[in-house]
Amino acid sequence: MAAAGKFEWKIAIVNKPLKDKTYFENLKETVIDTGICSRCLTCACICPVDGIIAAKPVDFPDYKERCTDCGACVRVCPRFDYKPKYGMGEYLEFIAAKSNRFVGQDGAMVTEIMMSAIEMGMIDRALFVGRNDEWMTEVFHVYDPSQLEMGTLTGTKYTFATVLKDLKKAVLLSKKGVGIVGTPCIVSGVKKLQKEYPLFRERVKLVVGLFCTENFHYEELAAFLSEKGVDYNRLIKTDITKGKFIATMEGEEEPVTFKVKELEEILPSGCSVCTDFTAVEADVSVGSVGSKPGFSSVAVREKNAAEVMDYIREKGYAAFGGDAVEKQLEFLINYKIGRFYVETAEEEGRDKSL
Amino acid sequence: MKKIVAPDYGLGETVKSHAAAIKVAIKEAILPQTVTSHYPRERRRMPDCFRGYLRFDPEMCISCFQCSFICPANAIGMREAPDNRYYPTIDYGKCIFCYFCLDSCPGGALKPTKVHDVAYNDVDEMLTPTCDMIDMPDLIREDERYVEYKIDEHDLSLERVKGLDDLAVELPELEKISMVSVCVAPENCLSCRVCEEVCESGAITSTLDGDEIRMAIDTTTCNGCGLCVKECSMQVLRLVRREI
Repeated sequence: MAAAGKFEWKIAIVNKPLKDKTYFENLKETVIDTGICSRCLTCACICPVDGIIAAKPVDFPDYKERCTDCGACVRVCPRFDYKPKYGMGEYLEFIAAKSNRFVGQDGAMVTEIMMSAIEMGMIDRALFVGRNDEWMTEVFHVYDPSQLEMGTLTGTKYTFATVLKDLKKAVLLSKKGVGIVGTPCIVSGVKKLQKEYPLFRERVKLVVGLFCTENFHYEELAAFLSEKGVDYNRLIKTDITKGKFIATMEGEEEPVTFKVKELEEILPSGCSVCTDFTAVEADVSVGSVGSKPGFSSVAVREKNAAEVMDYIREKGYAAFGGDAVEKQLEFLINYKIGRFYVETAEEEGRDKSL
Repeated sequence: MKKIVAPDYGLGETVKSHAAAIKVAIKEAILPQTVTSHYPRERRRMPDCFRGYLRFDPEMCISCFQCSFICPANAIGMREAPDNRYYPTIDYGKCIFCYFCLDSCPGGALKPTKVHDVAYNDVDEMLTPTCDMIDMPDLIREDERYVEYKIDEHDLSLERVKGLDDLAVELPELEKISMVSVCVAPENCLSCRVCEEVCESGAITSTLDGDEIRMAIDTTTCNGCGLCVKECSMQVLRLVRREI
């Protein structure tokens, strides 16, 4: 009930580094144009006029007319006022596991964790990234295990996905909570959203991070792979193991393989400044490194994720292969930090060999 | 098996009821009392609360989309007019004449009529554009009389009156449930001021106060159209009943 008179509330405004420009221009000049934008699309998620699009680079085509200069985009951008994160991060346990119910990239533990969280009633929808026949990524709202039958929702795509663009919609539609899977940059974006806005704190109940060295733009990866002789129409699985990119095609016995190093030429600039391999801010991080083939390494970091893992154990949904080996991750963690160091050294004109 | 037999009323009762029946038959033969009206030469007079075709007054419309939101049959579409505002169109192929639109219209732009018989050549024609809703629907009036049913204690009778019935209804201003917009989750507000931009009555204001933005809804001028509630991307605004 509202009493007659005035209803008032206040919002603190954010600091602008470039005073006489709008917030989006600030974001554009300090993040997008400098090439440190990770394309996580947290800004597109929060934008009240829905103007920010997932182009390459991220853009707001008609911001001059439509931008209301609210500052929400810079409030949530993980790369605005960027403090790189690195290392293994804190965790409660780091284990190798394999789902008994689902088939995925390695142990299908991301799918297992999300589906168990839905079964537990912790969340009522999870955002998954699917793909079409051309391997373009699409975001799916999954609320029932039967939706996974299409088979394209699990597995790694190595292409930027617009998951975060759908998060606000998912959050406003969900009654219990939303689960989201993403690369470390997406996880950082979600955490920043949660820090700034209680709506996301209350509703985003489970954030699963993926081990990630880099992610590619669709057009560039597609061009690169077809040059290598990969037929997108028959491609069924992409994987990176032991420094090699492996593309498995239907009806072909030998997969197409080449060194990951070769992909460096299409490495997005936003990835080269990222040092976070294990998604240190996630509730639980999942990846293949650190465990036997066919198993996923799961780093449980937060209480909510531990609850889900206990539920999986109780129901026997997954087979556990003991502790995952943290040492095996060190190489990739250091690789990312090293890459960042070389990148910044180049910029500052220092000797690369340092 | 049990045989069902007619009850025996006795001779006196039987003669009495037969006589009554013959009396009614003679009465009807001399002075017929039909209750069938001869449409279209006669038109039944509908009460003022009849829910017929709708009329629309663009001057009163605040383009709040409330009618199209509430329409359970999804019959109302909003179309952009040359003056860059959105006005409703009604697809009478879908309309169920529930009048939710009229009841929810905060500006009183939709008006009732007693028209219920519009003929169309095809289904596409049933989608009535805004310009055709401003005047009364096109009708060929063949009626010369209007009839009204009278129900007395025992019987139903028709009363025929010469002349054309006025099908337009001017309802007295109804006392509506007064709604007002409030912010239910100020901590989620982005201060994007989209609400301020869409507010027709100028009830929502924002002022820069040091390093804070002060948003305010003037509940006395808010007309409860709900435009801001619809536009708010974080859904922090809500329509609540106005306290009287």
